[in-house]
Amino acid sequence: MHNKNNPLSPHLQIYRWQISSLLSITHRIVGVINAIIISFICLWVLYLLLGENSYKVLNIFLNSFFGKFLSLAFCWTFSFQILNEIRHLAWDFGLGFDLKISKITGVLVFFGSFVLTIIFYFIGKNFI
Amino acid sequence: MVKFNLPQNSKIEVGKYYKDQTNSKNIKKIHIYRWDPSNNENPRVDTFEVDLDNCGPKVLDILFKIKNEIDPSLTFRRSCAHGVCGSCAMNIDGVNTLACIKSHMDINGDLNIYPLPHLKVVKDLIGDLTTLYKQYESIQPWLKINQTGQEKTELKQSQKDREKLDGYYECILCACCSTSCPSYWWNGDKYLGPAVLLQAYRWINDSRDGEKQERLKKVADELKLYRCHTIMNCTNSCPKGLNPAKAIGSIKKMLATS
Repeated sequence: MHNKNNPLSPHLQIYRWQISSLLSITHRIVGVINAIIISFICLWVLYLLLGENSYKVLNIFLNSFFGKFLSLAFCWTFSFQILNEIRHLAWDFGLGFDLKISKITGVLVFFGSFVLTIIFYFIGKNFI
Repeated sequence: MVKFNLPQNSKIEVGKYYKDQTNSKNIKKIHIYRWDPSNNENPRVDTFEVDLDNCGPKVLDILFKIKNEIDPSLTFRRSCAHGVCGSCAMNIDGVNTLACIKSHMDINGDLNIYPLPHLKVVKDLIGDLTTLYKQYESIQPWLKINQTGQEKTELKQSQKDREKLDGYYECILCACCSTSCPSYWWNGDKYLGPAVLLQAYRWINDSRDGEKQERLKKVADELKLYRCHTIMNCTNSCPKGLNPAKAIGSIKKMLATS
């Protein structure tokens, strides 16, 4: 019966996205982005160390529209990662596996990440 | 291996269109995945117009209606029709479930029916579950205990210990959960998958079993167990309302604390 020519049934193409699976893939992608971002942040800190001239370059870049967008985006990726990681930590303790609870925590993580980003933004504004 | 696209021989083509012959006003379009092993064609999606006025409430009723009245070559597995045997597991409206207990009334618009995802198709809606059954065998799903067979007393289990199996013994091995899991799609040959791990937990958790530690040790493997990233597609799809994600989490917790 085993025939190598048997087709593979469709998977990603047809499977409906769930809140849980969407958050899971976002968590992965955001994790990769964050790893890259950390190297950027190290670079920026180095710029600060190098004195006024290099500080100005960084300042101009971060004050541009793209720079602002990037900073805010980073705030979101870190917020999301932290909140979802807390969710994962609870799972490791055996808590929150219930379908309803996991959906609620999932939605909380999603909206919470935006709230946290806004809070970050305001903290940043006050310092200026 | 992660492969997002379907192989060349699995690309889905547009199939036949079966127009309604009854002049009914209550028509639903049903798109069904078809593949016939007797010719060398690619799989296709056929569309059937079904008269819902003369049809039972479940998706399985639709499939029977099509097989009886429109196209007798439509192939699918079914047996009990009451959500007990797990034969009619398939992907309905994007989520794996049992056709016999899924109501088509809940689904607005056209209805899509595919076989369970990421399996070798045997014919139409039938997927090849050989690997899953082999994996099930590998966890030795039977009571293991040192007995000679000469004992005169029965092996007792308290009510409390019995309750620990609630939510796990009900599994009917329909494979809805395993085939909904992206990790199982990419690593199905090595990762055991939610269905088999839930069963593994059921035996680890059985107070009468004598080889709890050996069972745990056997399943504690980077690929067999830890490919679970708590995506929770399994729990979302289980037609019996069980929670494989929790069972896997419990095994991980046991391993971390023992």
